[in-house]
Amino acid sequence: MTALLEVRELRKSFAGVHAVDGVSFTVEQGSITGLIGPNGSGKSTTIDCIAGFQKADGGRVILAGTDIAGRSAHQIARAGLMRTFQTVRVYENLPLRDNLTIAAQQFDDASWSDELFRTRRYRRAAAAAEARARELIELVGLARYYDAEAGILSYGQKKLLALAAALMPRPRIVVLDEPVAGVNPTRIRDVEDVLRKLNASGETFLIVEHNVEFITNLCHHVIVLDQGRKLAEGTAAAIHTDPRVLEAYLGMTPEMAEAEMRGAA
Amino acid sequence: MKAVAIVIAALAFGVLPYLTSSNYILGVAVSAAIYTVAAAALNLIYGYTGLLSFAQLGFWGIGGYATALTVVTFGGTFWLGLLWAGLLNAALALVVGYPTLRVGRHAFVIVTLTFALLVTLVARDWVDLTRGPLGIPGLPAPSLFGVEFKTTTHFYWIAWAYALLALGFLYALGTSRIGRTLVAIKQNEPLVRAQGIAPMPYKLAAFAISAAITGIAGGIFAFHLKVIDPLFLDFYYMQTFLIMVIIGGAGSFWGVVVAGIALSALPEVLRFSSDFRMIIYGVVLLVIMLVMPGGLAGWIHQRRVARMRAALR
Amino acid sequence: MAVDPVYLVQLTLNGITLGLLYALIAVGLALIFGVMQIINFAHGELLMVGAFAMSFALPAMGSLYWPAMAAAVVATMICGLVIYETLLVRLRPDEFERSILITLGLSIIVLHVVQYLFTANPRMVDTQYGFDGVLIGTIRITWTRIIGAAVAIGAFALLFVLLKHTQFGRAMRAIAQNREAALMVGIRPRVVARNAVVLATGLCGLAGAALAPIQLVTPGMGQFLIFKAFALVIIGGLGNIPGAIVSAIGLGLIESWIGGFFEIVWQEAAVFILMVVVMFLKPDGLFTRGGMRVG
Repeated sequence: MTALLEVRELRKSFAGVHAVDGVSFTVEQGSITGLIGPNGSGKSTTIDCIAGFQKADGGRVILAGTDIAGRSAHQIARAGLMRTFQTVRVYENLPLRDNLTIAAQQFDDASWSDELFRTRRYRRAAAAAEARARELIELVGLARYYDAEAGILSYGQKKLLALAAALMPRPRIVVLDEPVAGVNPTRIRDVEDVLRKLNASGETFLIVEHNVEFITNLCHHVIVLDQGRKLAEGTAAAIHTDPRVLEAYLGMTPEMAEAEMRGAA
Repeated sequence: MKAVAIVIAALAFGVLPYLTSSNYILGVAVSAAIYTVAAAALNLIYGYTGLLSFAQLGFWGIGGYATALTVVTFGGTFWLGLLWAGLLNAALALVVGYPTLRVGRHAFVIVTLTFALLVTLVARDWVDLTRGPLGIPGLPAPSLFGVEFKTTTHFYWIAWAYALLALGFLYALGTSRIGRTLVAIKQNEPLVRAQGIAPMPYKLAAFAISAAITGIAGGIFAFHLKVIDPLFLDFYYMQTFLIMVIIGGAGSFWGVVVAGIALSALPEVLRFSSDFRMIIYGVVLLVIMLVMPGGLAGWIHQRRVARMRAALR
Repeated sequence: MAVDPVYLVQLTLNGITLGLLYALIAVGLALIFGVMQIINFAHGELLMVGAFAMSFALPAMGSLYWPAMAAAVVATMICGLVIYETLLVRLRPDEFERSILITLGLSIIVLHVVQYLFTANPRMVDTQYGFDGVLIGTIRITWTRIIGAAVAIGAFALLFVLLKHTQFGRAMRAIAQNREAALMVGIRPRVVARNAVVLATGLCGLAGAALAPIQLVTPGMGQFLIFKAFALVIIGGLGNIPGAIVSAIGLGLIESWIGGFFEIVWQEAAVFILMVVVMFLKPDGLFTRGGMRVG
């Protein structure tokens, strides 16, 4: 298994507070890796730094062998790292079709002159984008809304749309920032299925989430952050029983957690 | 088909001088054509891209003065003057736009307003260049291949031709990928960046294009008035363009075009005391922004979305 | 070129007075921006309303300065309250362009209504102090200028106390610095915004009332001043109150000095050129931006 994304000693402070304090981890190609931690552990800041929305104070971020730390957000996207946002971002007043094809725009080889003269290159690129958009919209189950404006979708549906958009350019890795936060529990199942299907066809995911069940069901490998530092990492099962994680997350000892689990069973 | 209807309508406008010989009506028609183009250019930067730019007034004035000075001071032709108006404004827009677009949405509005004011100050006070408050009267009629465009009818055709060109260009731009990207930038800039698109080049392009188009419009209008002076930079013009965009619907091509044509007759109709006219402008602006901020096109669009929402649920 | 020191001092004093009045306007703008994230295009017209109110109140109160000024300020604050409750209260914090266009519409209406009712003829305003002044050596300063400056300084002192030491003021600073956090601790944005608007218009009305005896009162007097105030707010950093004050006084001095030695055009252009320079060097304003700092 090769490391697709490598984060080394990532550091970011805000006004003296070490939001991210020397975090290091790898995301293997073809995996679904989870990044969890209590509130304030630095997950979102880590993601923002990796994706170029914040400038890290130190450390390296290596994507498929190239150091992308310090690059701007759009450059990192072009390098193959796509991300979604915690508070979902879609183009509210544009149809789903446009929401998807805009995401692929930067990645084809058609220029404005190609479009102006409707060259073969442009028509090929537009057709390819259209085909991929339809494929993805089917996958996330929003086909009937294809020509409707994104603004009419529910919150959970918008998250699915955002996921589909992130996949349009066939990225190397997709970073999902709380993909099921605020989403209807029945819909969460749908999201899990979609992600599993995509992963089966080779897509790599790094998922930041609070929903531990979601992470447990999906992720091969889980990294736990606490107060800006990596607390533990391993398989989901291992994390579940790691006493340090339990204490940081739930304030419990292993015995208390076991009692909880038994009570819930 | 819609396209055919539009082409016919566009050509029909060209026939106007054969329907009336009233110079007054033709004068209003010239204003309609020019104002609509300026409003459409403002729509590009404000309606599509979401940047409220008061700099349009400055570009309008620079366009007028550049054209006038080319002819009067430097001995060039009217057409060369228009070319200069376009190029100068585009260049200026790039130079001014680059730092201005970086300072953030709030400061952008103020800085563009300041730009317009500075242009007004230059027009009024840099007497050596612009002849100051007296302005440059007696702008000569343009000529092409020996044909002199002396009458209002002739000028109408210049304005009409330019309107067709400029509006056609803006329509093509608005429906292209570039136009769609501008709209995306307005709606959700962080998402645009996350999708690999750098917003700055697009904003600069929109700023420069609307500057050039507005400048050329200003040049034509100045020669239609046959005089240019600092009053050309009166805030009244900015308000007119703005109201056309707002009533038509910011971001809607056809909305602004229709509003532009319809409202151009208004100043003529509202020939009360100028104070009263301004009060009405102010009230219209206020009411629309309170009740229908998306303008007429926005209101229509909202209803369509509501219907779609109901149908799909 | 030999510079007469007396002339220079005269210019400086004029500049400081001018700057203090600019500061009153700019601080009001900064306050509204800090709390509501909007720029009030009608601010200049509020100043004009204050000046007009002063011009009506003075004859009614036997040319007595202080009661007339108080009446003018109260009148302006009432206007501010009405404007807030009818228009501004409908604005959400992210509707920046809409706020500009609404206040722009308002500014057009107010200016032209006043012009329609009272004509554009400049008015001279007479106070109990007339043209009396103080003589320091060969330098002459009218009482109206001195009082204008003193009133401005007093207002800033009061504002400082208000913002730093009262709940009223702390709530404003909280909303300006971190809106979400302020909402979470129960600060009501509507009340705070209303207070900020009334306070800001009070400052503006004060400036207008102080200006009325110093220069001619016309319906358009707010227009040019307001553009300078906008530029000042940019220079000082949006929402930054001490920044606005320092920039304003600095501008008053620079304008006065330039006006004393060079042509008028440079004096008028000064603020805008300054703004352009600042924008190139420090896009966020000369002072650290964000929230409302008080000292």
